[in-house]
Amino acid sequence: MQADMKWLDDPQTFRVGQLPAHSDHRIYGSVEEMERQESSLVQSLNGVWQFAFSRNAKNRPVRFYEEEYDAEGFGEIHVPCHIQIAGYDKIQYINTMYPWEGMVYRRPAYALGEDRKEEGSFSEAEYNPVGSYRKVFDLDEGLRGKRVCICFEGVEQAMYVWLNGQFVGYAEDSFTPSEFDLTPYIREKGNVLAVEVYKYCTAAYLEDQDFFRFSGIYRNVSLYAKPQLHVEDLWVKPSVSDDLTKGSMEVELRLSSKGDLAPGEVALILQDRDGRTVAKQTVAAAEQVKVDFGSAWQVQLWDNKNPYLYKLSVLLKDGQGEVAEAVPCEVGFRRFEMRGKVMYLNGRRLVINGVNRHEWSAEGGRCISLEDMEWDIECFKRNNINAVRTCHYPDQIPWYDLCDRNGIYMMSETNLESHGSWQKVFTEPSWNVPGSLPQWKEVVVDRARTNFETFKNHPSILFWSLGNESFVGDDIEAMQRFFKEKDNTRIIHYEGVIYDRAYEDTVSEVESRMYATPADIIEYLENEPKKPFILCEYMHDMGNSLGGMKSYIDLIDRFEMYQGGFIWDYIDQAISVQDEVTGKKVMRYGGDFDDRLSDYEFSGNGIVFADRTEKPAMQEVRYYYELHE
Amino acid sequence: MNCMNKLQVVVGDVSIGMHGEGFSYVFSGVRGGMESLVLGGKEWIYRNPAPTFWRALTDNDRGNKFALKSGMWIGADCFIKCTQFAAEIDGKSVEVPLPPANNVYGGSVEAEHASFTYRYETVTVPHTQVTVSYEVFADGKIHVRVHYEGRAGLPELPVFGMRFIMPTCADRYRYEGLSGETYPDRMAGGVPGVYDVKGMPVTPYIVPQDCGVHMQTKWVEVYRSKTLDNSCKEEKESGIRFWAEDGKDIAFACLPYTAMELENATHQEELPPARRTVVTILGAVRGVGGIDSWGADVEAPYHISGEEDIIYGFWIGRAAE
Repeated sequence: MQADMKWLDDPQTFRVGQLPAHSDHRIYGSVEEMERQESSLVQSLNGVWQFAFSRNAKNRPVRFYEEEYDAEGFGEIHVPCHIQIAGYDKIQYINTMYPWEGMVYRRPAYALGEDRKEEGSFSEAEYNPVGSYRKVFDLDEGLRGKRVCICFEGVEQAMYVWLNGQFVGYAEDSFTPSEFDLTPYIREKGNVLAVEVYKYCTAAYLEDQDFFRFSGIYRNVSLYAKPQLHVEDLWVKPSVSDDLTKGSMEVELRLSSKGDLAPGEVALILQDRDGRTVAKQTVAAAEQVKVDFGSAWQVQLWDNKNPYLYKLSVLLKDGQGEVAEAVPCEVGFRRFEMRGKVMYLNGRRLVINGVNRHEWSAEGGRCISLEDMEWDIECFKRNNINAVRTCHYPDQIPWYDLCDRNGIYMMSETNLESHGSWQKVFTEPSWNVPGSLPQWKEVVVDRARTNFETFKNHPSILFWSLGNESFVGDDIEAMQRFFKEKDNTRIIHYEGVIYDRAYEDTVSEVESRMYATPADIIEYLENEPKKPFILCEYMHDMGNSLGGMKSYIDLIDRFEMYQGGFIWDYIDQAISVQDEVTGKKVMRYGGDFDDRLSDYEFSGNGIVFADRTEKPAMQEVRYYYELHE
Repeated sequence: MNCMNKLQVVVGDVSIGMHGEGFSYVFSGVRGGMESLVLGGKEWIYRNPAPTFWRALTDNDRGNKFALKSGMWIGADCFIKCTQFAAEIDGKSVEVPLPPANNVYGGSVEAEHASFTYRYETVTVPHTQVTVSYEVFADGKIHVRVHYEGRAGLPELPVFGMRFIMPTCADRYRYEGLSGETYPDRMAGGVPGVYDVKGMPVTPYIVPQDCGVHMQTKWVEVYRSKTLDNSCKEEKESGIRFWAEDGKDIAFACLPYTAMELENATHQEELPPARRTVVTILGAVRGVGGIDSWGADVEAPYHISGEEDIIYGFWIGRAAE
């Protein structure tokens, strides 16, 4: 297979040679490693890489992936880091409009007709920055002689991957892991990994989030080795009895092996927080393994106040009984259901005291650290924030673990926002994506699938969200169908169905609005409402703009079906730079980088400032979010 | 003569002075306001205190185009005409202009109390009037009364109050009221107490905007060490106190900038170096809103009508050391 530039222009090509999405479980080479949380099977490739920047595809170093390529003229970049933050390309902030507005006339392929393929739209664009990354590496001891894969946790927005001169694959979806099997080409020493990253491709129409427009490898890159036996996918399905006292569990596994799976076996051990074994099973290894724990046990439920997690250990043993791979998974038992148009968690009506959270750091942009995430969790806890919407894309994996451990209810949103295609200051959907275009359906369903497959084991996720501000049509309906077929322990959310009520019964299981006035909400709830009501965005806190919160909070007591909302938003998006006049560290926002068009200070709507200090309004949030815990 | 109990009055040619133990005040007859307020040996007035009608737009104000409806108040805030000055000493009115009638007073006039009233006319269309009166008592306390006259046809106000600009930066301030920055529609989370604030923090919103308002305040004390007095050899901290009338409260802000300075900056670093202390004692504060930032107005109870009177008062004196 050869890499093809035309994939950038084709919405129907979004993953080539990519491994299927799977659960985000960690793998260890032994039980001891699992207990130490240090895996000999994983090798980080973060660090300094060789790098060349080109303004467009035409100017890129085409043969840079060849082993013998002379990369003498290359510069350097730190991985992970946005290309723009590294100073190679202009930083731009724009909200709804596409970032090329006023610069390039573009329409999405097929949006104006079957024959409108818009070929060359991105591959031949005069401005479509390319990052050519090279990394030479040796395999760590623990990975040698095994099947080796590479995981890019986040690359924006399209990438081509080569190893040792051989084309490996192509990926889009900037906010979920992209993995490739390197086994056919890898060697112990002197591997040449080459990654070509494009700022724009057809995915640009789907990734029009209200944020700074970055590109590059901005999340971790690592290699992992599959031992003789390997858990490809783990799906833990905990359940809770009607009377909320007993727990049970089914586990589905997809295994792979180097050689035969037989006579390997799978041991599953579920332990409570104190390390007592609650249940265990051992079954023969097979490509598909389904384990039903059958008999129920007295269970500790998971919720915001008591985020009780059990620990499941999955041990893959070879014919000699040696552990080839150990996989831990934290399991939370909770029962989330709709009863008479009201959402209940563990038998109590759910009240969402939520925030929308972009991943953000004033220094790194969307390249954030574990410390940033831990700070955010502590901030949530001290301010009674019990829920987060991952606006408008999946976050880094550790964030989901932190939410599990700290009882934060998640709305796990799929990477989709296309408001530039229909929200042109006013609603104007004469063309829009994904809409009901068949050519755009698979790509959005794939995004839903990746969201689901990656994060399905996290008890903190109560809602799957189909995306944000992407109008509504058959394609979004297909996303809901996907989630619905897979998962009945969560509720599906999408706001945009309000633009076409014909989809009301097949898109979104909650009535979700953004920035509705209290009067609008009352009107809905007093007129035979079909679904419980939540605000996916409210209390727009731009600058010093949070007031009148009482009018919303009062609705919680007045209407059972009003179940809270997510404040817009958690953290200001602003970038810390050195002031060119005073030399001091200052915060800059849209338009401050000669970036046009821009939406300027609209990037700053947080209840915390970009440097992670709380805005004065936080005490108000803390007060109101304590009233309905 | 017991100067502890009487005001020593100087009826000058363009001003009237009120002096006593630990204080010295001068009210201008020609500049449209109080011109000197010395407490603790330190000057507390840089330019005449005057009514204030503007707050640096918040992002919601910008979003709902408040300035397009109420922009004329920015002019009123910058430029105001003093139409009348009146003074009374122990209930007897003083003839204005002061000379030549002041020739009768001599150098040892004493009084129990005195009052000074300034009447202002706004540059708005239509005009309206604001009356500010200062009643000075022998112990040095000043009672300020402020009356904004509502007028049909005037747009909503962003804020209304009295602005005091002090010659140098405050080191700190202390107040009894609610924790943090509060507004009429954002004060449920404010915890009552006595709070010490170091310096004069400007909330670092990415675009500078109105900030630092404290609602439901019983009193505020502002402390300064620095003066502009070139002969002053020793920096000694002293304070001024503003407090509410009995059973009432005030709102205030204590910042190094005027509303116009904040309004003019698009980034924090564009604000000029902090040089002064700007204390505003507010009679009415508009809410900050919260529904959205592109059109929704603040909720109805938190608007300030320009068509209705605003009357309020407060006290000024020396801070407890």
